[in-house]
Amino acid sequence: LGGAREGAARRTAAAAGGLLRRAWVRRPSAPVAGAIGLAAAVALTGVEAVLFRAGLPERLPSDLDWRAAGALVARDARPGDAALVSPPWAERARSALPGAVPLLPLRRAGDEDLVGVRRVWLVSLPQAPGSSGRSAADLSARAVAVDGPQRLGALEVTLYTIAAPTLPLAYLPDLLAGAEVQAGDRPCPSAGARGFHCPPSAARVAREVREVNGVVRPCILVAPDPAAEVPLAAAFPAVPIGRLLRGQAAAAGPGGAPARLAVSIDGEMVGTVGIANDGAWRAFELDTGRFAGGARRVTLVLPGAAPDAPPVCVEVMSLP
Amino acid sequence: VKTLRSLPARLAAALGGRRAAVAWGAVTLLALAALAPAPGLSRREAASIAAADRQAAAWRSLATGRTLPAEAAPGDEPGLGQAAAAATHALAGRIGDALGYRMATALLGALLSALLALWGLEIAGAAGALLAPALLWVAPRALHHGLSAAPDVVFAALWIATALSWRRVVAGSAGGGRAVATGLLLGAAAATRAGGLALLALLGAHAIVARAAPPRMPWRRIRWALPAMVLLAPAVALVSTPWGWKAPGRLAAGLLLPAGEPAGAGVLAEAALALPLPLLAAYLGGLVHLTVRLVRSARAGGDLSDDALLLLLVLGAVGLAAASPAGSGLGPLLPALATLALLAARALVACAATLAGARPGRALATLVLLVLYPSVRATLHHFPHLAAAWNEAAGGAPGAASRDLPRQEGGEAAAAILAGIGAHARPGARIWWAGVAPEALRAYGRDGRLRDDLVPATGPGEADLAVVVQDGGARHDDCRAWSVMGSARPVSSVYLDEVPLVHVYARPGAWW
Repeated sequence: LGGAREGAARRTAAAAGGLLRRAWVRRPSAPVAGAIGLAAAVALTGVEAVLFRAGLPERLPSDLDWRAAGALVARDARPGDAALVSPPWAERARSALPGAVPLLPLRRAGDEDLVGVRRVWLVSLPQAPGSSGRSAADLSARAVAVDGPQRLGALEVTLYTIAAPTLPLAYLPDLLAGAEVQAGDRPCPSAGARGFHCPPSAARVAREVREVNGVVRPCILVAPDPAAEVPLAAAFPAVPIGRLLRGQAAAAGPGGAPARLAVSIDGEMVGTVGIANDGAWRAFELDTGRFAGGARRVTLVLPGAAPDAPPVCVEVMSLP
Repeated sequence: VKTLRSLPARLAAALGGRRAAVAWGAVTLLALAALAPAPGLSRREAASIAAADRQAAAWRSLATGRTLPAEAAPGDEPGLGQAAAAATHALAGRIGDALGYRMATALLGALLSALLALWGLEIAGAAGALLAPALLWVAPRALHHGLSAAPDVVFAALWIATALSWRRVVAGSAGGGRAVATGLLLGAAAATRAGGLALLALLGAHAIVARAAPPRMPWRRIRWALPAMVLLAPAVALVSTPWGWKAPGRLAAGLLLPAGEPAGAGVLAEAALALPLPLLAAYLGGLVHLTVRLVRSARAGGDLSDDALLLLLVLGAVGLAAASPAGSGLGPLLPALATLALLAARALVACAATLAGARPGRALATLVLLVLYPSVRATLHHFPHLAAAWNEAAGGAPGAASRDLPRQEGGEAAAAILAGIGAHARPGARIWWAGVAPEALRAYGRDGRLRDDLVPATGPGEADLAVVVQDGGARHDDCRAWSVMGSARPVSSVYLDEVPLVHVYARPGAWW
């Protein structure tokens, strides 16, 4: 039996060799081979280009798809919900989703603090060129329950219930309107929605949204007047305090000198945050266990700045 | 079917050689002039328009003998392209402000088409004459630069004109007049873009190759052309910038060295992701075909002068584009793309002849259809946002956005939102235009595309509306608008294949 198999294999190999020899003998000349190559390349790329353009509308959501996604989210939304789009450029969601469900300005959910968010609606375009499942994987890793995905034309909507939501006792950027701001000894009057200005100096404190290194965050902008070189302080009179003060800080403008932000509770220093102008958010955590259980006065102080010190943007929250 | 099959041959026969060139020139001029009012103005084009206005003021002051304030004087960089834009604006600016500046590009674009048709005729016959200009202009990015007042097309036309003139000098079919013309054209190219004088070195290298390789060009053919180029080219460049004579060192540096950080290989990567794939395949096929011809000629001792010139032109143009400032898109690569279009036309004609023998018409028509149809379709799909065109390998606009590639050249997509602003902005609204050049706003106003009562604001804090251009980079301007307007929900947007190009944010009551 083994000999028969061996003979068949030999015959097959000989036949294949013969075919190859004949093909080599009858091979096209170099110019013809070149012409065939060019024609094949043009034909393949031409057909690919036509198919790509013809198929693209099917891979992208229509107005109807967006309206359906908006209606679905509006119907089932609850307080504490937020939305994330994938890929992040699919920003028609800003208009299509209900205003009560804020759109997280993140490229990925990763290990970002989703402040106050209990559930995330992931609106994705799975067939769009360049689309990836990274946001879905990030959220799956953080979720205790996943509902969906629900297909709405070229959109997919999935609801993730976050296993350990970050629910702060207080989120300081949202409390800025009630804060007291001082440049040195001079109180800075409130300029309404624009925050606090400290005339005659150029110092100011305001709630802003800033992008640093591709990550967008709401934060408190503390911009001292480099010419005045006096400390700039923002005091929040009654902040519920728990176990931790957590946050992110970054330089928010030009300037080379590193800055240091001091944080105190009821006048007692609980820590400082060093901020280098390296184009990145710097996470920090300060232990506030000994102050826990009451509403306290939290003060952020940026000491007398060097002439080339940048403004600082700081996101701070009090966690239970 | 018979009529269609014989159409290229009949067209070529009807048009003849020079008539094909004239026809291509006329069609290009009409097409570019007709399309020019539609696209918006990028920051790069706006800078070019500002330079054109400074050129106009400088020439006026020279003519009238008045002293020009130092801040209003043109810079040291070559500005012949901008001077041409200023001249056409003076003549045609009443028809349309942006159109007036862009007419110089349309005129030189027509010249470029005619030259490509002539050169195509000489190297690939009538089909080459018909194909070569088409293979350039069907690229959405090439057409984008054809509809811009930035001097990319002007430079490409002068580059090809100089090379074609030189080719005739080397072939021995030209007299002294041609030598002078070559020198003047080279000077005009050098006066249009920094580094343009590199063409002199390229043509010098070509003279050495043509002399060294059989059939060994006699030196006497270029005895007038070389001195004419060496003398006339710097002279033309100097005459076109009389305000720079006081500082000859700076003037020479401006003529020779492109300012800004060089694009490097990035410009080639951008071309690989921006040109429609079949067109890219045809360009590469043309380059391979050229290389094979060169190798064969070298082995057989044949005449390789013509092919060596084409190869030097491609390599030189790519090198110059790599040395051009980053962020200029494919504009600096246009001379290379024009030469590649010639090579692609010749390769496609040769390919059809090889595959189909004596009756290559049908094979050529099929190949041309496969190259041109997807490219034309892409151009129609992206117009007027032609700088946002990315090819199938990049995944189109959505795939490019996922890779953080630029979504436009620099704010030109804002033009698409002007009608919406005219219809919905409250009377007297103050508008912060983030990423849009002030010169562009002035041109929109003069062209009646922007309401007179709307007031530009210097920041979002004092604005009722914020128009924020989306270029795929950092979103500081969006963040500022969100902070001040109190909402991240745009009231209007411009999208291309779902990729946002512009958002408009509004304070309550500012958008009706």
